[in-house]
Amino acid sequence: MSKYLTFADIVFADREVLLAALAEIGYGREKIEEGMNLPLYGYRGDKRAETAEIVIRRQFTGIQASNDIGFKKVSGGYSPIVSEYDERTLRNGHFRRDLRVAYAQQAVTKIQQELRGTIQIQRVAATAKAAAVTRIRLRY
Amino acid sequence: MPEIEFTIDESTGAMEAHIKGIPGPGCEDIQKLIEKIMGKPTTQERTPEYSVPVRPTTQIRPKG
Repeated sequence: MSKYLTFADIVFADREVLLAALAEIGYGREKIEEGMNLPLYGYRGDKRAETAEIVIRRQFTGIQASNDIGFKKVSGGYSPIVSEYDERTLRNGHFRRDLRVAYAQQAVTKIQQELRGTIQIQRVAATAKAAAVTRIRLRY
Repeated sequence: MPEIEFTIDESTGAMEAHIKGIPGPGCEDIQKLIEKIMGKPTTQERTPEYSVPVRPTTQIRPKG
């Protein structure tokens, strides 16, 4: 046992991993627009003040009256830009959580590939005292 | 054999990474790889194995 790290707040540090995570939760590359300072639009087609480098246009979010979802390139990675309405409605209000879980899983896959290791996955069901967790053992 | 044990909390997406089986500070390179993808950790802790000195390998050469 050498080191123990915790990542309470998932930072979307890696672009490829973020795109893989978005694909995992239903937003494949065909629904993604990439560029620099792309404008974001609201559900009425109104241009928003924010811009982003990775965008899911509102017609691809799967929700009526949705707004564009953006990921802005910042120091250290990508920061999500999601309206309050979309936070409440996308994926029954679990968009951010689901994306974070998918990102963590895709991150492990990428680390496995870099280390050319093997993995074992175990899912531990939720109990009255603890949430469900996924344990992944990577040997290299 | 070195290994990393990841634990992903499905209710929040928070993750823990436990780097094991690497004596001494050799795990720092693994940490850098993880941070490149996950960002800076919220907390980090060295575990007992971190303090184990890395023994240099010695070669015994035959005489003659």
